[in-house]
Parts: sequence; C-alpha cells; structure tokens
Amino acid sequence: MSGTPREEVMLPGVPALPGLYRQALGLAARRRMLRAAVAPAVPAVQHRADGVRVDLGALTRFQQLLGSAARDAVPSAYVHTLAFPVAMSVLARPDFPLPLLGMVHLSNEVYQERPIDAAETLDVVAWAEHLRPHAAGTQVDVVIELRMGAELVWTGRSVYLARGVRLDSAGSDGRRDEDRPSFAVPTPTGVWRLGADTGRRYAAVSGDWNPIHLSGLTAKALGMTTAIAHGMYLAARMVDQAVPAPSGALQWRIDFATPVLLPGSVTTSFTRAGDESGRRTDVVGWSAKRRRPHFTGWVRAE
Amino acid sequence: MADQAGAQTAALPPRTAVVIGGNRIPFARSGGAYAYSSNKDMLIAALDGLVARFGLQGERIGEVAAGAVLKHSRDFNLTREAVLGSALSPETPAYDLQQACATGLETVVGLSNKIRLGQIDSGIAGGVDSASDAPIAVSEGLRRVLLDLSRAKTTQQKIKVLATLRPKDLSPNAPTTGEPRTGLSMGEHQALTTAAWEITREAQDELAYRSHHNLAAAYDRGFFSDLMTPYRGLTKDANLRADTSLEKLATLKPVFGKGLDTPATMTAGNSTPLTDGAAVVLLGSEDYARANNLPMLATIVDAEAAAVDFVTGEEGLLMAPVHAMPRLLQRNGFTFDDFDFFEIHEAFAGTVLSSLAAWEDPDYCKRVLGLDGALGSIDRSKVNVNGSSLAAGHPFAATGGRIVASLAKTLSEKGGRGLISVCAAGGQGVVAILEAR
Repeated sequence: MSGTPREEVMLPGVPALPGLYRQALGLAARRRMLRAAVAPAVPAVQHRADGVRVDLGALTRFQQLLGSAARDAVPSAYVHTLAFPVAMSVLARPDFPLPLLGMVHLSNEVYQERPIDAAETLDVVAWAEHLRPHAAGTQVDVVIELRMGAELVWTGRSVYLARGVRLDSAGSDGRRDEDRPSFAVPTPTGVWRLGADTGRRYAAVSGDWNPIHLSGLTAKALGMTTAIAHGMYLAARMVDQAVPAPSGALQWRIDFATPVLLPGSVTTSFTRAGDESGRRTDVVGWSAKRRRPHFTGWVRAE
Repeated sequence: MADQAGAQTAALPPRTAVVIGGNRIPFARSGGAYAYSSNKDMLIAALDGLVARFGLQGERIGEVAAGAVLKHSRDFNLTREAVLGSALSPETPAYDLQQACATGLETVVGLSNKIRLGQIDSGIAGGVDSASDAPIAVSEGLRRVLLDLSRAKTTQQKIKVLATLRPKDLSPNAPTTGEPRTGLSMGEHQALTTAAWEITREAQDELAYRSHHNLAAAYDRGFFSDLMTPYRGLTKDANLRADTSLEKLATLKPVFGKGLDTPATMTAGNSTPLTDGAAVVLLGSEDYARANNLPMLATIVDAEAAAVDFVTGEEGLLMAPVHAMPRLLQRNGFTFDDFDFFEIHEAFAGTVLSSLAAWEDPDYCKRVLGLDGALGSIDRSKVNVNGSSLAAGHPFAATGGRIVASLAKTLSEKGGRGLISVCAAGGQGVVAILEAR
C-alpha cells in the first residue's frame, strides 16, 4: 500500500466493461488529438463498489470453461474477474496517465484468506499505485481488495505495462529484453490445447471483451500480431489445476513472459514442493515449438 | 488417517464395516437449480461437504466407488475425476459402478465388503445423476456414417459413405427410461404391477402424502443438518411439498396405465419426478473410526441382490427386492419383526405398496418365492420415517447414498435394526441390513 492518502470514489455498482472500453477509446482519441500532457502520476483515488454478488449461472459457465468443478466455492481467479471492472474504472479515468487499451499484463499476485462462497456479498476497492519505468515503457500496479463486511478476504496486485510510453520524469530501469535469462525447458506434465475461439469463449464467461483476445483482426488493430490468450484465463487454469479444492488460505502468483498466440498449445509443468506453511506447486507454461516460456507461477495452499 | 489396510493379513476373519456419516446436496427437479451442473460437478460438491465435515482434506481414502445411470461417454472415469477435483489425496483410488437405481446401494455393499475383508480401511460410496444434463447421442445411422467416414481413405470413398446418410439420421437420441427389451417405460411397467396387486389410487396418494409430510418434519427438526450441504442456492430438496394434501394429490390426472382395462391410478404425485443430485457415504472399519475419532452410526450387516424375469411378464419389473428379501432374512435368521425401520425406495408409491402386499400374500410367497407361507407384514409406521424418493426426488444413482446415510443416522439416534430395499431397471433389486451400534 502506498503512503499517499487516497480519496474514495463510491461507484453505484460494478461498472460494465464494454462501456469502460468505449470510454478508454474516446479518451485515447482525445489525447491524440489534443496532444494533451498528462501528469506523470496515478490519481490518488480508490474506486469502491459495495454489495457485489456472484451470479450462479455465470459462475457455472466460467468454471466449466476453465475445466474446474462447478462447486459453490468461487475460483480465486474468478474473484479477480468479478472485481476487475472496478479496477478498470480507475484505469479509464481521464487523469490516469497511461493508455488503457493495449496495456500488457505482466504479473498477478493474489492472497486469499479463505474459500469464498458464491452466496457471499463482497465489497470491492481498487486503486493504482507505484507508477514506474520499465525497459519497454512504463509499468503500474493495480491493487484490488475484497471484503466481506470488515474481513479482508482477497487481495490481488496486478502489474501492467504500457509499452513505449515514457512519462516525463521517468527514465529507463536499465533492463533490456536481451537481459532475460535463457529458458531451461522443464519436464512437461501436460499440455493445454487452445482453439482459435479461446479468447472469445473466455470473454463470454468473464465479460472482458478486450479486443486483443477476440480475433486476429481486432488484436492487429491494437498492435498485436494476432489474438492472444487472456492472462487471467491462463492464471485460472493454473490455480485450479494446482489446487483443485482449496480448503484454507490460498496464495498464488503468475508472471507472464511471451503471449500465448491463438490458436496454440501451452506445454505445462506442475511441480509439487512442500514448504513450511503448506503445499506449494510451481508451474511453468511454455511453447514447445519456440522453446520460450509463456508464464511461470506458483500456488500455495494452506 | 491414511488407509492402513495393507498392514492387515488377508487371512484374518471378517471385520465389521460401519457407516461413519454421509453427505448429499439437496435434490433439484430436472431443469431446475442444477440444470447446468454436470454429474462430475455434483459428485464433487457432495464429496466437498463430506471432506469438510470429517476433516478428510489431503487424506488417502481406501477406495471411492460411485456411479451415474445417465452417464456421458467422456465420464468413463467419473468417480476418479471427481476425486481428483476434490480435496482428497490424489492417491485415493476410485472406480465407477452402474446398476441402474441400485448403483448407490451397491457401492456401499461393495466397499463395505472390502472393509470386512481387510482390503481397505475406509471407503466413500455414492452416486450422482442428472436428468437435466443428460448425454444426447447421435442417431445410430449418423454414428455409423461418421465411423465409416473416419476409415475412408480416398475422396471417392468419403463421398460414397456420405451418400448413405439420410435426413432422419440427423435427429439425436436422448436417453429414455424405457426398458430396451420391452419398450415399456418404467412407469408403464409399474402400472402393470400396480394393477395386478390391485393397489388403489387412495393408498398410493396416502403413501405420497406421508413421504412429503415425513420429509418436511425431518427438515423441521434439523435431521439433515449434518447429512447435507447446500448447492447452487438450494438448501432443501426442490421437490418437497410440505403443504401437499390428500385432496390436492387426488386432483392430479393419471399418467401411467391409461391403456389398461383397470382404472389408471399412477399420477405425477405418486410417481417420482426426474431429478438431479448426488449423495455420498463415508464407510470404515471400527479401528479406522476409533483411530480417527469418527462416529460410528451403524453397522452394515449384510446385503442381497436379486433379478426377475420381467421380459415375459413372469414378474413385475420392479419386484426383484421382493425376491431378495426372504433370502437375506433367512441367511441372517431374521423376520420383519426384528426390524425397527424400513427404507423402501419409492420409485413409485405403487412399487412400495405392491412389495408390501406381495410379502403379506401367503399364496404368492409359496408359489413364487418358495416359502412356507407369507413372509410377513410390515408396520406402515416404520416405513420411510424421514420421507423417501416421492418427496425428496430420485436422482437414480444418488438414492442409495441418501437412504444409507439417513437410515444410519436414524439408527444412531433411536437404536435398533433397519432394512433397505431398492428396486432397479432391468428387473433388478438390492436389499441390505443395517444395525445400530
């Protein structure tokens, strides 16, 4: 948490993502036209939506697409999906310094205190912080917290990169892509075969119709070579496969390397590793053809 | 808590297998709250509750056996997949079993026998069925064309195969409750039996009324609080009509047996509806229960299966338990008087009443069952005291687990001995004895 006090903006409910994407599009066009200078800082605000509920039908569709059991406990990654529009509403603000569209998801780290039941009503708070340079542009942390009454049950920190965006005061952090350590291919334990419609099907169950996941054409419009798999889709499958039935606290992290081009295959490696506080599973997903990692991560169940 | 049965020597005399507890999800009417939940989803939901109730997270259970009657071919390893999706140790073995509506009870019989033999120390038995999420198969014509097509090598061969496809081949096949050898639905079969035993409409409605009344009363006194976990917004069986009355039941139109000479008596009220749900039961040896500080609700004493020749009309489709019962009682030296509770699965009210009538009929018992006289009469007030399938619903393979857990709990509360009778498609049936600890 950053030290600066944040003003709280209460939203009437969880906003709709398509509206936020339209808002972001309009904002991007205006900025281009006016060449408006944006303050090189994230707005000191947090957006809040109370009384967020899980729709059982939507939950079932999400669980079944991801191959997890349609149980009443809400998958940890689905909690992110539920709360994400609140975070998006922060990123789509006119005073947010980075262009929302085309931002790249670098990593996610989540701590979930206990299983969350679909019948629970949750309050969501989201804000952005820690704007900083990256070798390829500018990165920012987006923090989401979910509470059940006063009890903090879920905290997630996502890091996004605005490629090619240099803020006035920001220098490079000195890291270059070539500095990446070479990738040692692990022993595979499985493969995910992702069809060309993976992005559209995930959009349908998550409500996140980000054009870079939907089709080759819409992705190209935003500078990608073709449609890529949604980071939370990969994260959700990783978490569910590592710990299919969490019964206590759950912590996980995923770091995205190269995007998963659709259609495509992700070779996976799940390795069990005990540690002092519980069971940890280390996960790597990579392209067997290109011998390059798509993501690395871990899931710890207590 | 891991299963230690391997440490036993196989030559030891049989041990005692006990029911430790059970869990099910409320049963939903077909197309209701579980319309989009698969068999695997529901079986996992039932396992989740059992695991949480008895602290089985990460535990290796001796074996898990379950099944589904309406099963998709992709679910060939349904039970093992459910174990892998649960919090049980992934080192827990599992197998699928299918014996129509007796599936659930038969898994209890199979696993309790393994426990008695010392092959396993603990087991989870159960079943699941979805009438909503039923598998739909392509027609036999289309299936043959698709298989031939996959074997065709040249374009010419492929065209030739495709040319054999007929428009009617494109209509899919949904599963039915029809008997393959007779073409009659289960309801039509029961209608023949109901008529043969001259079971009245009033008696059937009365049984249905009591089923709803007893189930509602059981909910009211919290009987299911440690036998059930909510799922998908349901906290009670969706089919339960606590406010039903004999007058309301009497207004329903008959649905089966309308083509017979005798008056049609079977309605939607005194027949079980299509239902979705899952139920599981935790079994163990006495040592396992003691070592893990788990309750012992009842002992599984013995069981017997039977089958009848319904194809020629020699016997009613759902009358097999009537044949199994005297064999089970004789082997154990019991009569009906030795039992305090009877769980007779209510496939239809007519099934229960025909069975009771048959056991009371000296002529039938001599002629068909080969007994000296009537097997005996059962006090109606001891039958299905916490309601049964007419009120709860009947997700085929889940019914056995529901009955075993409910009866075991009743015996742990009230003491005594209980008898279970479950009929099944294919002219089969399974009966079993449970005893209070």
